[in-house]
Amino acid sequence: MRQITENPFFVLGVSVDASRIEIEREAQKLLGMLELGFAEVQHYATPVGPRPRTSEGVRAAVAALRDPYQRLVAELWARHAPPSTSEAAPASSAAPASTTGLRRGLGWGP
Amino acid sequence: MYALPYLLLGRIHKAAIDARRKDRTWKYLMWSTVAGTVAALMLAIGGLFAFMLFRFGLWPLGALVVGVMVLPPLAGALIRYAIVPTGWYRGAYWAGVLCRPGADAPAYGSCVSAWALARRPSNAGEAWLAAQRDARRPLGDAEVVVTGLIAAGRGDAVTARQLLRSAALLVENHPPVRELAYEWLAVDAAERGAWIELAAEVEANAWPASPLAYLLEGIAQRRTNRPGAPREAELYARWLLAPYRTRTLALLRAAPLAATTTPDARDDGSTHDVVAPPAPAPLPAAIAAHLAIGRGKPTPALLAHAVGAWDAALGDPATHAWLARRALELDAPLGSVDRALRDVATGVADELARAAEAAALGAPGTRGPVGDGVTRRLRHGRLDALETGFARWAQRRHDGAVRLAIDEWREWLALRAAYDAAVTAGGLELRRLAFPHAYSTGTSMAVWLWNARQEYPLSHAISKWLLAEALAVGDAEAIELGHRNCRLTVPTRTGPHEET
Repeated sequence: MRQITENPFFVLGVSVDASRIEIEREAQKLLGMLELGFAEVQHYATPVGPRPRTSEGVRAAVAALRDPYQRLVAELWARHAPPSTSEAAPASSAAPASTTGLRRGLGWGP
Repeated sequence: MYALPYLLLGRIHKAAIDARRKDRTWKYLMWSTVAGTVAALMLAIGGLFAFMLFRFGLWPLGALVVGVMVLPPLAGALIRYAIVPTGWYRGAYWAGVLCRPGADAPAYGSCVSAWALARRPSNAGEAWLAAQRDARRPLGDAEVVVTGLIAAGRGDAVTARQLLRSAALLVENHPPVRELAYEWLAVDAAERGAWIELAAEVEANAWPASPLAYLLEGIAQRRTNRPGAPREAELYARWLLAPYRTRTLALLRAAPLAATTTPDARDDGSTHDVVAPPAPAPLPAAIAAHLAIGRGKPTPALLAHAVGAWDAALGDPATHAWLARRALELDAPLGSVDRALRDVATGVADELARAAEAAALGAPGTRGPVGDGVTRRLRHGRLDALETGFARWAQRRHDGAVRLAIDEWREWLALRAAYDAAVTAGGLELRRLAFPHAYSTGTSMAVWLWNARQEYPLSHAISKWLLAEALAVGDAEAIELGHRNCRLTVPTRTGPHEET
């Protein structure tokens, strides 16, 4: 899941077709906004829900995309992944209601 | 005049209870009725005798008769409603011993004491009970049940469940102790809503059922719509026999009282034309399947789907062509396509193997770079963990580190659980690979426990498991030795046990 949750394209919020200049510009913009504490850049959308964005993560992402091989692998994941969502993934369905306190009620619980 | 019919009734009562423990049919209700009626008669005779003695001013003798003739028929109710709820573990021990539970009364006394402690746990009580347990040798079902109930009192239901279930593996059999252990397991299953698990216990018929466990079994059968589930009248009869009627009535009313059919069941034979959606491209399908594994609890079907999708995607010429084109456009180094395919396969196999390991899933059984990788990682990881565990167990014998019998039993249970999980997930192939090490270590430990520690039931349980595994993998030498070991007469406190 790391290839998706920490994918440089998702971290930077740029298209997989973005040029190097666009990527560098977006990274600088994000770093500036993160430093100023803008709320709208504190999280980034991924196909499995939002993830917190940090300055270190942005720097690592832009560094990865500067390397053609790493960009190739990142593109393979990002280009073919389902659409990103900014909403948290729904929690797994709740367990069936248990008869809480039954052990005590039937003489076995503390 | 009073003693002779009383003694006769006492024997009938015991025989009825013994017969009930062996049955789960309508005879259970019949034997319960007989036992209840006989207990009432015993109470009447004892009470009348005591009353006459008091009437004639023979107070000391009257008090003795109350203790010897009136209290025993009431012992079960007194223990359950008066002694256990107070947490008076010493009183519970003696009440258990004095209520004539059959051979080896202290075994039942210890378990009743542990039950009281489970209601009101205390450090002093735990120490006292542990000392009582450790003084009894060799280890038998009662000692395991006591330890399980102590764990239950601490709130460690998982350990309690594992230990109480394991009591059935020991040949020393105290029916009242097992009845108590099974009641805890049945109540625990009901609390967790594990009705399927409880209904399966009815079919296994491995435990004697107390009236409460018998009622919960019936509710479980109704809720899971099992064949042979009791009818409404029978379920209410079980409810009448069981204790805590107010509490169990709510459960009873929640149980479906009519057979239900699954909503998917169709009997009109109608068929529907289903238009299949267009198949997605292999790579998006693989990534979607991968994400599905990460989102929830993986199942064998999800894992097989993800592995198959990845192998199809990474072997797809369209993926290779796309990678080659993008590598060229990005000016990636030579060999980047093969390296990317290899790295993706390795990373994906690692993640899927981790997910499969965490969910104790078997190898996917599909061939390809990802399928082979997942299978290899699962097999090696599980075998290594098992071999380390068994080697550590055997090493203690050479180190001379002697542990309490209950600790030996718990270590054995943990190893066995790890082995079962591994072979369930890895299939027969992994079972055949894992068995030789388990066999050599297990046999050597069983011999040591028998000869040096005189822990006969424990040693026998290990030998019996090794024999079952030898039969499963078809190891002729191990089968022969296993049969020889299992045929040994096992001395127990309830009498010698011989395998039939």
